[in-house]
Amino acid sequence: MRVSLRDVEIRRGEWTLSAAGVFGEGRHLVTGPVGSGKSTLALLLAGIIAPERGTVVREGSGPLFLSLPFPEHHTTGATVGEEIASWGVAEAPVLAASDLAGMSLEPLFRLSRGELKRFHLACVLARRWELLLLDEPYTALDCSGRDALSTRLSAPPAATTVIFTHARESLPRVDRLWEIREGRLVDLGPVADAIPLWSSPPAYIRIALEEGAAPANISVEDVREALCRTDG
Amino acid sequence: MIRVEGLSHGPLEIPALVIPDGETAVIGPNGAGKTTLLRILSGITLPLHGSVRVDGIPPREQEVGWVGEYPDRNFLFDRVRDEIASSLRFRHLPCGEVDGRVREVAETLGIARLLDRSVMALSGGEKVLVALAAALASRPRLLLLDEVDSHLDADTALLSEAALRRAGCPAVVRVTGRMESALAAPHLLFLREGKVLHQGPPEAVFTALSGTAFLPPLWGCRR
Repeated sequence: MRVSLRDVEIRRGEWTLSAAGVFGEGRHLVTGPVGSGKSTLALLLAGIIAPERGTVVREGSGPLFLSLPFPEHHTTGATVGEEIASWGVAEAPVLAASDLAGMSLEPLFRLSRGELKRFHLACVLARRWELLLLDEPYTALDCSGRDALSTRLSAPPAATTVIFTHARESLPRVDRLWEIREGRLVDLGPVADAIPLWSSPPAYIRIALEEGAAPANISVEDVREALCRTDG
Repeated sequence: MIRVEGLSHGPLEIPALVIPDGETAVIGPNGAGKTTLLRILSGITLPLHGSVRVDGIPPREQEVGWVGEYPDRNFLFDRVRDEIASSLRFRHLPCGEVDGRVREVAETLGIARLLDRSVMALSGGEKVLVALAAALASRPRLLLLDEVDSHLDADTALLSEAALRRAGCPAVVRVTGRMESALAAPHLLFLREGKVLHQGPPEAVFTALSGTAFLPPLWGCRR
């Protein structure tokens, strides 16, 4: 699915966000400071809110999904098994992917927040989407969980994937970078060219750039490879 | 200094532990018992077995500050100024003193401009800064932070870390999922399955964690 934003403006009192650009097929990363409007933009792309000005055009059909930062906002089942059934997906692979093998009867709210997040994402990623919007998918995950998610999101089960995050320790390989700066969504372009234009990259990327490395993508593996290579 | 002895509570088994003054970062997998340990150190939870002393005094008798991962779930007042002032007003300090302290702590954290806003209208990061200010208002001996940085962007996290250091709380124990941020703390605790497996300066702890996912992104790959 392709989503075009044409001269969009959203207003909330004094606060405004303007956006223009096309989210085509592929993997997109949208970053920006806290309160800059990442979640608002996610709601806009999902069609849940409408802009005060401009238009949002979705081309293509098929299922779209917006994953919210708090996994408890998505739960409908009482147990792990019921929740998986509500997604209409096979149970065993989701249990395995979320490290919950044999825990189908476990009440959902006995899971820790990290376990619930990992489980929610496993349910989402067990299906195929035309447009998949992930708002802060890394929240509450531990280091192992974040690395596993980055690997999974480097090949997501969606034609168009947009990841909105302030995560700074682990990121997936993406095709295009976007950044919200002072109330405006900026399209930084294809990833390799966009990395040096990123005004607030994660520290591991900033350090690599300062040391003269040119990573091909934004995953920790790509950056380590670029940095260790320049180390000789 | 915090002294833990014979602690046994749910998954936690800590025979003896001394946490020095200054800043300590607690790291470890989901479910390791990090939050449980923090709740016990704060006095929110009383341990089933064992004792905790903060400068020789039980946590509930000590001046302790706490900020959780979702600070807005604990906000009591709508206006930022009232939320920060709450702990001081509850002990009936004179109004002038309360107002002065609220302004001072808000300025230290860089949120003086938010004082007359509604807490519900703030962004996630701003809410964290307000909760930090509210916790620091009473000048705690010990401040406990439970993954407070997990909803902050890089700049806001650095800002709040710097503000925290300026605030000069004698002991800060913070759970973090960000190894880069743990690297900045002089003392680290690594928990797994309820036990303290490693503790010490970050270099020593991360060296012991080689080969795990619990390392700063560029660990071992810097000039």
